[in-house]
Amino acid sequence: MRLKKSFQLALNILIHSKLRSWLTIIGIIIGIAAIVSIVSISIGAKQQLEDRLGNLGADILTISPGFSRAAGNFGFDEGGPFGREDTSSNSESKNLTARDLVVLRNINNVKYVMGGVSSRGDLTYLTKTATVSVSGVDETIWKDITTEELASGRMLTNGDSYSIVIGDRLASSTFDDIPLNSKVTIEGKTFKVVGILTDGNSVYMPIQTARNVFDDIGAEEFDSISVKIKDVGLADETVSNITKKLMMARGILKETEKDFTVSNPATMQATMQSTIDSMSLFLGAIAAISLLVGAIGIANTMFTSVLEKTKEIGIMKAIGARNKDILTIFLINSGLIGLVGGIGGIILGVFASGLIGSMVSGTSGGISRMFGSTAITPGLLITALSFSIIIGMIAGAIPAYRASKLKPVDALRYE
Amino acid sequence: MKKDTCVISIADVWRKYDMKKNDPLVVLRDINLKIKKGEFIAITGPSGSGKSTLMNVVGTLDLPSFGYVYLDGKDISKMNESDLAYLRGKTIGFIFQQFNLLPTLTALQNVMLPMEIIDVPENDARKTATDILIALGLGDRLHHKPNELSGGQQQRVAIARALANNPEVILADEPTGNLDSHTGKFVIDFLGRLNKEGKTIILITHDLNLVKYAKRTVHILDGKIKQRLSK
Repeated sequence: MRLKKSFQLALNILIHSKLRSWLTIIGIIIGIAAIVSIVSISIGAKQQLEDRLGNLGADILTISPGFSRAAGNFGFDEGGPFGREDTSSNSESKNLTARDLVVLRNINNVKYVMGGVSSRGDLTYLTKTATVSVSGVDETIWKDITTEELASGRMLTNGDSYSIVIGDRLASSTFDDIPLNSKVTIEGKTFKVVGILTDGNSVYMPIQTARNVFDDIGAEEFDSISVKIKDVGLADETVSNITKKLMMARGILKETEKDFTVSNPATMQATMQSTIDSMSLFLGAIAAISLLVGAIGIANTMFTSVLEKTKEIGIMKAIGARNKDILTIFLINSGLIGLVGGIGGIILGVFASGLIGSMVSGTSGGISRMFGSTAITPGLLITALSFSIIIGMIAGAIPAYRASKLKPVDALRYE
Repeated sequence: MKKDTCVISIADVWRKYDMKKNDPLVVLRDINLKIKKGEFIAITGPSGSGKSTLMNVVGTLDLPSFGYVYLDGKDISKMNESDLAYLRGKTIGFIFQQFNLLPTLTALQNVMLPMEIIDVPENDARKTATDILIALGLGDRLHHKPNELSGGQQQRVAIARALANNPEVILADEPTGNLDSHTGKFVIDFLGRLNKEGKTIILITHDLNLVKYAKRTVHILDGKIKQRLSK
């Protein structure tokens, strides 16, 4: 029998199958949907992680006030590198000052040091107002240290005061369209937009201006200090050097009494990567179990189906069908159950991952934020589909083999 | 009788079932039967006599416990499953009392199936099947499924299916058993016509009214051939 004919007969069995087969298919749909959504969420989280940390630059260390034992707890707030760090301090928090900048400048392997401040304020353009994150940066160094890229206009430079550079998402999504060189109002002061970045929701302005505009920023204090290092290979050594020197300068003797945190993007990336990996593995294991249950369902359905079709198998054998013809028909049949389940599962999985994505990204902060973006890749879909077909065929293999071995006379007699 | 003129020949065939240890159920005892090309043979006997088992052995659907079965001159015990299935599909067309059509296929698809199983191209199979069904008066029922057809129509589809591969032998097991007398007569007349056209017909029946159509009758009782009648 030609493969095409076997396929037609297998499809015919599927089309005329009873509710039971469709219930089995639902089992596979759920298993595949779980796997698709979990994998897409973890791929999305990884991409998000790479994007965010890529933005920071591997050669940028960040020093923030307060000390948290969980060094991985890095704020992925919209404020970019100067976002408010969510560090819970176990010693009295003492802000970073200009003295710290001086200390840092004298450390080996340090190229640039820049103090930054951050706050939130209302930005008004034409009739629309939105609350935005504002970073105050040293306009003389910022262009050398930032990893942000310009879409149009220019970076902040020497002599800028009431000039700002804003992110593209802020310019074109949050507000309908803020063109270059337009005037916006922040906290009642008028600013000129001199540059638009390729991405992001941030607003950058010279640090002195930020101090003037925002009451909550202290005169001599920094919310964070960014350090650009010369040799990334020496990052770990530089981190411990910075820690040692800053402790000395700030009169701290014990490591446990530290009142600042030095974050190294590379270590952080590794920590977060392994967190995401282990979460994905755990969720994936749960999904695999549900798929296993689905596969057992297919095997069960196939056994019953073969039993029901015994007489038809006998008829086909009487009119010349060979064992391998029967085997092929039932293998394709179970593969088709897997295929239909796989397609359904992918649709449900894409839908579910989108839903989970939008639900999670509504919440704020840290790792949960990472899982807010999902990624459906063609590779994932093809893998999921072939996986479900193979599972279907494996589950159907024994019933199909038994069907093929039926003696025509016994099969014909079956009622 | 020369062996090569025999389509089916069975020699010293026993068929027993090992239901209980040391007490097997013997259904066929030492059967010898040669069926020549172009014969119309009736196998009769009361229920339980073993005629269905004999039909299965003759139709190569079942293998004997002892003895030999030759189909088209070949010893089927020496053939593998696949070759035997192919030879059976090409050489024997079955007509069953229960019609045994595949319920999810249309009349046309049912008749095409034996051809497609032995790899006849789909278009050729469709044409042959359509022609046979039209010849049997089912031209307007090609795309109906078995449950949309009357018993007589279903049996005609089954006859068409049996003829699909133009086999040498038609093996009909109580073909009129589930039909009214009018349709039954049509079926038996049709078998007679096929025989005149050169087909070998093996008719298994307990209906003595049908036996008269056959040129030779083999009567089975308690698993043994009791009587051979030739016209």
